[in-house]
Amino acid sequence: MNELLNILPPLPALFGQLMIGIINGSFYALLSLGLALIFGLLNVVNFAHGAQYMLGGLAAYLLLAHAGLSYWYALLLAPIAVGFVGLVTERIFLRHLYKLDHLYGMLLTFGLTLVLEGVVRNYYGASGNSYSTPELLTGAWNVGFMMLPHYRLWVILVSLVICVTTWLLIEKTKIGSYVRAATENPSLTRAFGINVPRIMMLTYAFGVALAGFAGVMAAPLYQVSASMGSELIIIVFAVVVIGGMGSIMGSIVSGFVLGLLEGLTKVFYPEASTTVVFVAMAIVLLIRPSGLFGTFLQHKPADGAAMKSTHAAFEKAAMTYVILGLLAITAPLLVYPPFLIKVLSYALFACSFNLLLGYGGMLSFGHAAFYGGGSYIFAAAAKWWGLDPISAIVLSGMGAAVLGVIMGVVSIKRQGIYFSMITLAMAQMFYFFIVQSEFSGNDEGIQAVPRGSLAGVSLNDPFVLYYFCLGIFVLGFVAINTIIKSPFGYSFRAVRDNDARALSLGYAVEHYKLAAFVMSAFFAGIAGAMDAINFQLASLTNIHWTMSGHGILMTIIGGVATMTGPLVGALLVATLENYLAHLGSWVTVVQGFIFVFCVLLFRRGIVGEFSAWLEKRQERSPSQAR
Amino acid sequence: MVDHPVALELKDLRAWYGESQSLHGVSMEVGQGEVVSIMGRNGAGKSTTLKCIMGLIEKKTGQVMFRDQNITTWMPEKISRMGLAYCPEERGIYASLSVSENLLLPPIVAEGGFTVDEIYALFPNLNERRSNQGTKLSGGEQQMLAIARILRTGAKLILLDEPTEGLAPVIVQKIGDVIRMLKQRGFTIILVEQSFHFVARLADKSYIMESGRIVDRFDQEQLGSNMSKIHAYLGI
Repeated sequence: MNELLNILPPLPALFGQLMIGIINGSFYALLSLGLALIFGLLNVVNFAHGAQYMLGGLAAYLLLAHAGLSYWYALLLAPIAVGFVGLVTERIFLRHLYKLDHLYGMLLTFGLTLVLEGVVRNYYGASGNSYSTPELLTGAWNVGFMMLPHYRLWVILVSLVICVTTWLLIEKTKIGSYVRAATENPSLTRAFGINVPRIMMLTYAFGVALAGFAGVMAAPLYQVSASMGSELIIIVFAVVVIGGMGSIMGSIVSGFVLGLLEGLTKVFYPEASTTVVFVAMAIVLLIRPSGLFGTFLQHKPADGAAMKSTHAAFEKAAMTYVILGLLAITAPLLVYPPFLIKVLSYALFACSFNLLLGYGGMLSFGHAAFYGGGSYIFAAAAKWWGLDPISAIVLSGMGAAVLGVIMGVVSIKRQGIYFSMITLAMAQMFYFFIVQSEFSGNDEGIQAVPRGSLAGVSLNDPFVLYYFCLGIFVLGFVAINTIIKSPFGYSFRAVRDNDARALSLGYAVEHYKLAAFVMSAFFAGIAGAMDAINFQLASLTNIHWTMSGHGILMTIIGGVATMTGPLVGALLVATLENYLAHLGSWVTVVQGFIFVFCVLLFRRGIVGEFSAWLEKRQERSPSQAR
Repeated sequence: MVDHPVALELKDLRAWYGESQSLHGVSMEVGQGEVVSIMGRNGAGKSTTLKCIMGLIEKKTGQVMFRDQNITTWMPEKISRMGLAYCPEERGIYASLSVSENLLLPPIVAEGGFTVDEIYALFPNLNERRSNQGTKLSGGEQQMLAIARILRTGAKLILLDEPTEGLAPVIVQKIGDVIRMLKQRGFTIILVEQSFHFVARLADKSYIMESGRIVDRFDQEQLGSNMSKIHAYLGI
């Protein structure tokens, strides 16, 4: 009996953590509610939700600092301002994407997130600004076994009220019935004379305003900083997946429940508290793929999924590759080799990503786990286990592939944007795992990784290392393109274009997806190893979700489902990073703008557009000759 | 047959789903207060014609004239506000709305529509089940609801897409009664149907469609004498 009491934590600690859990849960609920509303009606996974939450907090901070307006004004004004920004965003950007693959909405809002966070970081710094608790709500309430700060109680109460009111608004009012009808069957609802486009715009603004509201509520509790939303949003994605996308009640309930679960974990097993939500997500997905409150609505992917392969003649021509090869061989004479190796590792990363997105239509937001995982494995293998570079690289690829199996088994249960959100959440789980584990060196990473030597030749010479990496890249590139052209590649494309039909033809669709996912993870791991051997470092940067964003950006800017697109994209992104480095956070802003530009106007990417232009010219020229 | 002023006119309507053309020049005239049927086999373009009128298909050429206004390129919400109402083939009952919410969803666009009481008197079943989930109704009740909800709006031209499909004879008869009553109240109705017998008793005029074209036209009194011809068209 005494032993049991020893296991239990002291009551104040337990209640304290539960309290924090409910507070976090309040924010999860407020954010996932808005996310669910927007997703239900617009079919857009609003990646910018975290940034919009941050804008709410920032608005509160600015109103106080520059206009002397208190918390209470901010609580009203900030959501209106942020909601208005949302309204304009929908009008200018999102509206043009509804008819395309839903992935584009997620990509666009991802780009907007980079822009918003980058701008805020530039003007207000990366560190947080504190915001004091409103006077009326300072102090605490002694309930005997613990102290209850008034502000925390206020947060819990208000978010409960907002959640329930929103639910009532949607479920019980006339306006709510318009929203539900438009969610379920937009074109018929329009045919009844209901202005669905306007409802969509207002719903987006409302969801965004909720995020802004949550941001104001959070300001006195957390520091107001540029990145306050981006870590939170990934957890909220997991919450939304658990609750069942698009289910209002599901997102509210799972928001609070997961907050509590997190609080409890902090008491009993603190090491797991950052990952418990993601573990819960994985378990829920394995048991109930549609989420706990999964709705009866199955969103069809928009037709004309725009990601089609374009293999122009020049991409097949041997000449192209001879020129590329010559360029690659002579490049170190003109350009600093470590930069070139970075381009190579980015390019292989983008190729691995393209294999999945371009030929499988699967947009992974979790490839940083493989890239970063690869670099950590390489660093550990080379530094501590004394492996030679080739074995270490192969081991990195295999390690990433194992990770790919684990992530793949969970994530391929769902398609489209769900897949993207799940891969993102799984990768974040891995990120926290690395941050906490002993061997990774935490914030420092694994430094001074030896490069080793190959057949007696030291790889420390930058030129030798460059040609070594070039060799590995070429092997990887050829392997990926062989896979794409193999019968497997064609079957995989069949799965992408119509997985129901592929299934009915007898293809084991899930096996194909998993196999492709694991292969892609393998090559991303090799790319990560190349990064580690180049910089002699495995760090958290490589494993952070922004690295997944890099992979996506490179692929899209170069041209999805083209062979050379990822190379062009990698060169551009690496150049941007290197030569604009002195601009600091503006690089992120530039990248964000490129994202937005590509998604709106340049969806085929550089190589894709070039191919299309060539094709048009060829079509025209014979007719002119006649 | 010029005793009705023209309410709706289609001129050389062509429509596409993506790359594939589904209407190849449809022209027809619907007079005020008439019941006009469009008959034809599956895939002939009947439903597409209705969707074009409602603005639900964007890729189209030709003209849709409603009360002397060219509404061809209008958005569906604007067309509906002109007093056109559409009852789709799949009925379009919302699962996330209750029966009464389904009924009250379409906004009133003109005076002179049915009141809720009139509707419940006409379809007592709906009243009994007003708080049920819309899609929990039987097929016949769903069809009643689909028709009922557009009667409330005050729209005077209604498009019915195969309202009798898959329903029991007694319900088909009820729907026939309703259409007859609507005609008496001055509604103009375009009725897409496959059932010749249903149409024969109701329609002032019938168009036959085949492969996206109008291939024939009969007035009510001509129907009887052209039975065999029509059956050949419909492939019965």
